[in-house]
Amino acid sequence: MDTDFKDLQSQWQHNKQQISPPKQTLEALYKKIKAKEKANYFFYYGTISILAITLIVISLFFYFVAPVKELWSRIGVGLMISGLVFRIGIEILSIQKAKRMNALNNALVATENTIKFHQFRKMIHHKIAPIIIVLYTIGFYMITPEFSKYINFWLLVWFNVSYVIIGIILFFVIRKGVRKEMLKINEIMALRQEISD
Amino acid sequence: MKTNKHTLFETIHQEHQAMVFQMCLGFVKGDRDIASDLQQEIFIRIWKHLDHFEGRSSYKTWIYKITVNSCLQYVRKQQNKSTYSMASIELETPEDTTNEQDTTQDISQLYKAIGKLKDVDRLLIMMVLEGQDYETIGEVMGINATNVRVKIHRIKKRLKTLLETTHHGY
Repeated sequence: MDTDFKDLQSQWQHNKQQISPPKQTLEALYKKIKAKEKANYFFYYGTISILAITLIVISLFFYFVAPVKELWSRIGVGLMISGLVFRIGIEILSIQKAKRMNALNNALVATENTIKFHQFRKMIHHKIAPIIIVLYTIGFYMITPEFSKYINFWLLVWFNVSYVIIGIILFFVIRKGVRKEMLKINEIMALRQEISD
Repeated sequence: MKTNKHTLFETIHQEHQAMVFQMCLGFVKGDRDIASDLQQEIFIRIWKHLDHFEGRSSYKTWIYKITVNSCLQYVRKQQNKSTYSMASIELETPEDTTNEQDTTQDISQLYKAIGKLKDVDRLLIMMVLEGQDYETIGEVMGINATNVRVKIHRIKKRLKTLLETTHHGY
């Protein structure tokens, strides 16, 4: 078998000398590297930026446009804002974990880190996102009584109905996220098994 | 103006491009386009991590780690897409001149056979074909050399069977 394998090795080596890797200039590769660095930056900080902007807009809205006066409403606003701050914190943690999935580790460690990352993402979808939504919802309904004094009844009904619709959509988004992460975890676990078996 | 990093990267690119490309080709069952994308992804990672190279292993071992991890990540990304299949693949082989015809056929069969192995087994056997020792392969994969030896023995047997099947036109 070893003699046969030596032949295969020489075939492999011979072919390596003969094949022509794609003719790509280094300039083109450097361009791709730059584009990838930009995309990575957006991948890491895009969600945080969106969440931070939402946080600023909501805070400004409650400070300048609709400064609620009742204690109950203020607690509600606090819950809504805390939920967002908590979500930003989780996103920062997620980035740290994503950066740990480093291609410089050996395959087994890299696979284990990837499993940990997806388990963390699953936990976000499964537990943390619903908690944040519940906090946000409680906050939303706590400010509703004070809001009802200043805005039209039908507008209030519209706010509430649309909130329920958003809630239903979020439920399906979260469920999809959990399933996706579960699928990834199972696939990577199978790979880990293949490596360590 | 070229920095030291650029110079080093270009040297690595020049010296290891053929090895990385051949590994990618073997991994994606001979699809040149996918192998080309995968190779590009690997060199982007090499650039990204070049500053972090600590010299604990050779550049070659370091590049193998990045190549193996990139290939495994590629599998995860593609698992649900099923974009590559043996049926639609034009195998990457040397120019089909009369003198090279036998070699071309042999390497095509080798690619086909490797393509039928499990993802991890494919990477392991390609590193052996590249002439890497069990210690280095173990370092890249994160398993001990004895375990590598056992695996390789099993994969060689499987590869032999697959090649015999291919020779008989099954």
